[in-house]
Amino acid sequence: MAVAAVHSGGLADHIHPEPQGFLRKYVFSIDHKIIGVQYLVTCGIFMILAGALAELIRVQLMRANGGFMTPDTYNAVFTMHGSTMVWFMIIPLLTGAFGNLVMPVQIGARDVAFPWLNMIAYWIFPVAGLMLYSSFLMGAPVAGWTEYPPMSLQGAPGTSMWCAAVFLVGIGSTMTGMNFLVTILKMRAPGMTFTRMPLFVWGQFVTAPLLMIATTALGAALAALFIQREFGVPFFDPTKGGSPLLWQHMFWFYSHPAVYIMILPAFGIISEVFPTFARKPIFGYKMIAFSSCAIAILGFMVWAHHMFTSGMAPTLQLPFMVLTMLIAIPTGVKIFSWTTTLFGGVLEFSTAMLYSIGFLMLFTIGGVTGVFLAAVPFDLHAHGTYFIVAHFHYVIAGGSIMGALAGLYFWYPKMTGRMMSERAGKWSFWLYMIGMNGTFLPMHWLGLWGMPRRYAVYDPQFQTWNQIESWFSFVMTASILLTMINAIISLKTGKKAGPNPWKARTLEWQIPSPMPYYNFKHIPSVFSAPYDFAEPLPYRGLEEELTDSPPPVPAAH
Amino acid sequence: MKLDRGFWTATAVIVLLGLVAIFFWVYAPITGLMPEAVDRARQIDLLYRFLAASGTALLIAVFGYILYFVFRFRRRKDTPADAIGLQIHDNHKLEFWWTLIPSMYILVLAIISVNLFFQIEPVNAQGNTLVVEALGHQWFYTFRYPGIHGEVGEMHLPVNQPVTLHVSAYDVIHSFWVPDMRLKVDMVPGLINTLVFTPTRVGRYELECTEFCGTFHGDMRSGTQQDKAYVYIDPPGKYKAWYDATQKAQANASDAVQVSSGASLDLSKGDPAAGKTLFQTKCSACHALGPFDKKIVGPGLMGVLHDPAHPNLVNGDKATPENVAKILQNGFSGPMGTMPNQTANGISDKDIANLVAYLNSLK
Repeated sequence: MAVAAVHSGGLADHIHPEPQGFLRKYVFSIDHKIIGVQYLVTCGIFMILAGALAELIRVQLMRANGGFMTPDTYNAVFTMHGSTMVWFMIIPLLTGAFGNLVMPVQIGARDVAFPWLNMIAYWIFPVAGLMLYSSFLMGAPVAGWTEYPPMSLQGAPGTSMWCAAVFLVGIGSTMTGMNFLVTILKMRAPGMTFTRMPLFVWGQFVTAPLLMIATTALGAALAALFIQREFGVPFFDPTKGGSPLLWQHMFWFYSHPAVYIMILPAFGIISEVFPTFARKPIFGYKMIAFSSCAIAILGFMVWAHHMFTSGMAPTLQLPFMVLTMLIAIPTGVKIFSWTTTLFGGVLEFSTAMLYSIGFLMLFTIGGVTGVFLAAVPFDLHAHGTYFIVAHFHYVIAGGSIMGALAGLYFWYPKMTGRMMSERAGKWSFWLYMIGMNGTFLPMHWLGLWGMPRRYAVYDPQFQTWNQIESWFSFVMTASILLTMINAIISLKTGKKAGPNPWKARTLEWQIPSPMPYYNFKHIPSVFSAPYDFAEPLPYRGLEEELTDSPPPVPAAH
Repeated sequence: MKLDRGFWTATAVIVLLGLVAIFFWVYAPITGLMPEAVDRARQIDLLYRFLAASGTALLIAVFGYILYFVFRFRRRKDTPADAIGLQIHDNHKLEFWWTLIPSMYILVLAIISVNLFFQIEPVNAQGNTLVVEALGHQWFYTFRYPGIHGEVGEMHLPVNQPVTLHVSAYDVIHSFWVPDMRLKVDMVPGLINTLVFTPTRVGRYELECTEFCGTFHGDMRSGTQQDKAYVYIDPPGKYKAWYDATQKAQANASDAVQVSSGASLDLSKGDPAAGKTLFQTKCSACHALGPFDKKIVGPGLMGVLHDPAHPNLVNGDKATPENVAKILQNGFSGPMGTMPNQTANGISDKDIANLVAYLNSLK
């Protein structure tokens, strides 16, 4: 076989000795699968915290004149909700958790390229999280997750702690990005060419450079804000030659690509789920992979569309507007390709499939309102209102989180060896769909009618809709709790999954569940893309994986 | 698989629903809920109708096909366990069209938006423009009018009179948004942002802050009067009455800037040439010789005494040589920046006379 020559047997074939002892096995593990689970559990904890904060927001907004919390507490609550969800929940969940759990196995590797770096990147994350929440003890940050100066310069001492915590978690992100990029470039199994990679790997491959490049801009911005707060260097002070807009440019240079960090891996997840439960190849594999690359590149050139009302040069607004609109084209190609994948399939509505279909619908709503907002004249009206809140919650709660939930229900058997309850899963899906739409759909018209975001008290004419939203938000919370309880109970009581409960075709399903520490007894070779359901599996060298043959011997050090 | 009757029926239903949606958005009574208070609002609403119509039509198409496929291709009870779907990988013709059509749509949208953008963007103010300044504070708005001393707490605009609105802020970023005007601009400390519009409908309109500005962000007031923030668009007569009354009331209001030296200056002997040299050494680091909003640290000073668009100085006083000299003597501190006083700048009374003469010569 010609492809076998590609495989030199060095990097990818290296086997770590099986870790011994509780600490090395479950705490300071360098095994990508354990690290993936650690990320998943930590993200679950942050989901509970940030979700509780979200419910506090919704309780406050039940009454137009507030009264549940003081305005300052409310401001701290929405700041921490946003900061936690973006940096401590969704980004680590989609890259750290699912990327670690699945990506190395999908490319036929035994681990990521730098296992120790992986462990360090993980351990930075809970430490940074503790720092973030410790800011509550010293006066929490209040200026929203975007922390625009000069407002953030007035913030309580916790704002500096916020800078440090987000800076640290950013370092962890950068490490993960570099690790994944090298892993995918260097450690693919023989024959796993770029056009044979599963689309989830494509998602991680495109996300990794975003993590590496964009996060550094955020780090610089955070460092500058910290230095100005603590040492008075006037980066953002207009009376001393600084500019508040400097922060906005640096922050959005990161935070716009960060939106794609939060959605590209989710695109990858549903691109695995659709073929598996439609029993047919993904439609337009190359176009889906290529459009991800296009989105990532364009994503670096549109950051100032968050600043159309800030007072940029008018001539600068036009290219940002047009480039932003261009992103609709590759995004549209993806949406049409997934929809067409359903055509002519044999559709099985497992929970993972339901969440993926939900993703496709809700993300499309978020995408359409994104095109609205790209048009400067419309953005002049909608900027800073609940229309924006609706838009990005459709993208993130409707897109990223639904994608992650699809991934959880899809890969849970691979992770634990047991199935999650499908019955509870379907309940959770319908509750999520009802709760999510009931909470965020009315925000579209509330924003257009004149309700700005981040108001602790608001005009009484908006109260009825806000109460409706709050009630629906409890349904959404119930759905998330149901999924979490389902995941915990199924650890003990779930049906045994076997290696391949979904009859899926990517590499991780060809080895036992849960996956052994060495992943593969023999590194397989690959000779086709994984989605041809009419063909035999396109792998060689997997014969012994499900037999009792002895595990491979670790390389001597 | 051939596209069967079911598919074409579904397509027909989707097209029909899409047309209904487009029809709805073309005729939806937007102004019933939200009046259009200025000339730009109507154009922005037209863009919104276009976006909403096309967006809803697209959503109906995507949702329609998803739901049809979900229903039509579901695994049935009698489907064999090992059944597989249609093994198609791609269809270049289809992919070509669904890349080309959205591209054309984006092109049309971009042309419409760019065109509208140039109509909305502030152009150089015309002679008959009313120049008003709005300033953000934690947590209220104040306004400055030509000929009215100091800052006032209410914003009144005469109907059908073109307005140039300059905004800035004292402390943190605020914003100026009147939902019924469909226009918004951030008030950034140290930056002067501008909106240009013509009020077309008499009424009282809510003014909202959309950039988070601290504890009472949700409760920004008009002036310090503890009244909710509004913009009043008045008939010309009513506006004139308000203006006259306010001008009179403000005339006796205490100066925002305290006078540090009472000495009156003799401005008549100023030498513009000496002033020019002095300007280049003492002033040009912070002030450009450009239009008012060409800002370095302070505003641009070209034509500062002769610009009809800016009849007021930065402290709200009328642009006269005496008032410019006052600023040079006493310095200034406000949202547009801080300027040191005469002693800190190290300039003599004679220097001030020369500088004023020079500034007066700039037209």
